[in-house]
Amino acid sequence: MHIPDVLLGGGAAAATAALGAAGLGWALRRVDERHGPRTTSLMGMTAAFVFAAQMVNFPVGPGVSGHLLGGVLAAVLLGPWAGAVVIAAVLIVQCFLFQDGGVTALGANFVNMGLVGSVGGYAIYGPIRRALGGRRGILIGSMVAAWFSVLLAAGAFSIELGAGGRREDFFRILSWMALVHAGIGVGEALITGLVVRFVLLTRPELIEGGTNEDELPRRMPGWLSPAVAGLGIALAVAAFASPFAAESPDGLEYVGSMFGFLPDEEAPPLVRSPMPDYQAPVPAGFGGIDQVKAATAAAGVVGTLVVFGFAWAMARVFSAGDAKRGAWADAA
Amino acid sequence: MPPDGPPRRVDARVKLIAAVGFVVAVVVAPPGSWRYLAGLGIALAAVVVASKTPPIKLLARWLAFAPALGFLAVLTAGRVAESSALPWRIAALDLVARNSLAFVAMMTMAHATPWTDLLAAMRRLGMPAALASTLAFMYRYLFVLRDELGRMTTARRARTFGRGPGFGSLASLIGALLGRALDREERVFAAMTARGWDGTLRTLDD
Repeated sequence: MHIPDVLLGGGAAAATAALGAAGLGWALRRVDERHGPRTTSLMGMTAAFVFAAQMVNFPVGPGVSGHLLGGVLAAVLLGPWAGAVVIAAVLIVQCFLFQDGGVTALGANFVNMGLVGSVGGYAIYGPIRRALGGRRGILIGSMVAAWFSVLLAAGAFSIELGAGGRREDFFRILSWMALVHAGIGVGEALITGLVVRFVLLTRPELIEGGTNEDELPRRMPGWLSPAVAGLGIALAVAAFASPFAAESPDGLEYVGSMFGFLPDEEAPPLVRSPMPDYQAPVPAGFGGIDQVKAATAAAGVVGTLVVFGFAWAMARVFSAGDAKRGAWADAA
Repeated sequence: MPPDGPPRRVDARVKLIAAVGFVVAVVVAPPGSWRYLAGLGIALAAVVVASKTPPIKLLARWLAFAPALGFLAVLTAGRVAESSALPWRIAALDLVARNSLAFVAMMTMAHATPWTDLLAAMRRLGMPAALASTLAFMYRYLFVLRDELGRMTTARRARTFGRGPGFGSLASLIGALLGRALDREERVFAAMTARGWDGTLRTLDD
């Protein structure tokens, strides 16, 4: 679902609009440099494909279905900047033709799904692909990137929505978004992985750089991958730890209170209870929050395990083929 | 061809700027300014009537939008209520009302403006040429690929005797569609090149 018009604060909307416009301009330039006159047909057709692919509903449970988002898939097929341009085209058509997503939130939607989703997702995909190599690298890389791209987009949305607000609000939004998107991300990783696997088995030449890892061009600045991976992991940790951390006092406050205590030593007898705060009852009316926190953390852990498990299991299909290919190469 | 009123003949640039301006006016309104919103709503209703947008269509699309909107409003009304000192329910109602106004305004604009006109207007208002031609190309093949997907779905249903598709089969459907789409792109690009395509989209009104 896309961000509607009246949701973000004015500052967040303006900032993301400027960032989105700058990012899209840069992406268009990079794509034009690489594809020249083919830009129009390649980007246009892939955007139409992503739009059509989003119409395919995957049954998740009774009455619930999900669909592909496609940011990482587009980046795996065409490269990060082309992926961002494709997502931008999809978002613009959805906004103006189908009123899906607000026109004043177009920048925010593009930042979350195009820049964070496609470019950020590719920054995770590239190193994994290079490290593992071959088809397994492509498959595992795309699945892990798909999962992280959804989580990173949820994080970006939480920042936009929480901008200018209080810290507790931000953590509440973040933990809710993480809870929901840990699940959505598993679906996105599964669908992306299954589609990439199908393409690898039938038309491997459609993947950017083919299946030979030596041909994968380094099209991103060297610092971007570590930065995005670090952010993603930090976000994952923050999202799954924040439900527990949000209630404990701020680090600075904590240090302050410790120093505050130091002068008057007569006040708290050390023996009574080392950490009385830990027995503090949950404020009335917030009883449900504990379950939410536990569920958030559980969803995060389970989601991570499921994605890595599926990626590993699906990549096993290719290991034999790769070994054979290696043997052939040695013989020749 | 949908029924059209006077707004259809207005220059697309005017309609685009007016619609986006209307949305901005709705967005910047402080929560709870009911008279201001009512005034905007009456103005919008007049345009809807003049453009002969079928009210049933508007209502149907709004109803499809409403559940997600209600969910969002309930989720975020607390924030608005806190910053504007409005009761929580009123804040939720305000979010729904303002988003609905923006939604109907954009939908009326889309109804009264053919996509090609809208694209030309965006192009003249400064959208990069590469993006505008990509959007034009995308629109041209959007419905082609949708029909292709429909045919593939029918073919799959005919071979599976009513069994619901699993994740794997649906993903293969998407993968196959991708292959067909990019094959089509190759043919179309070759044909475009043969006709002198150099990367610049030329239209009659340039």
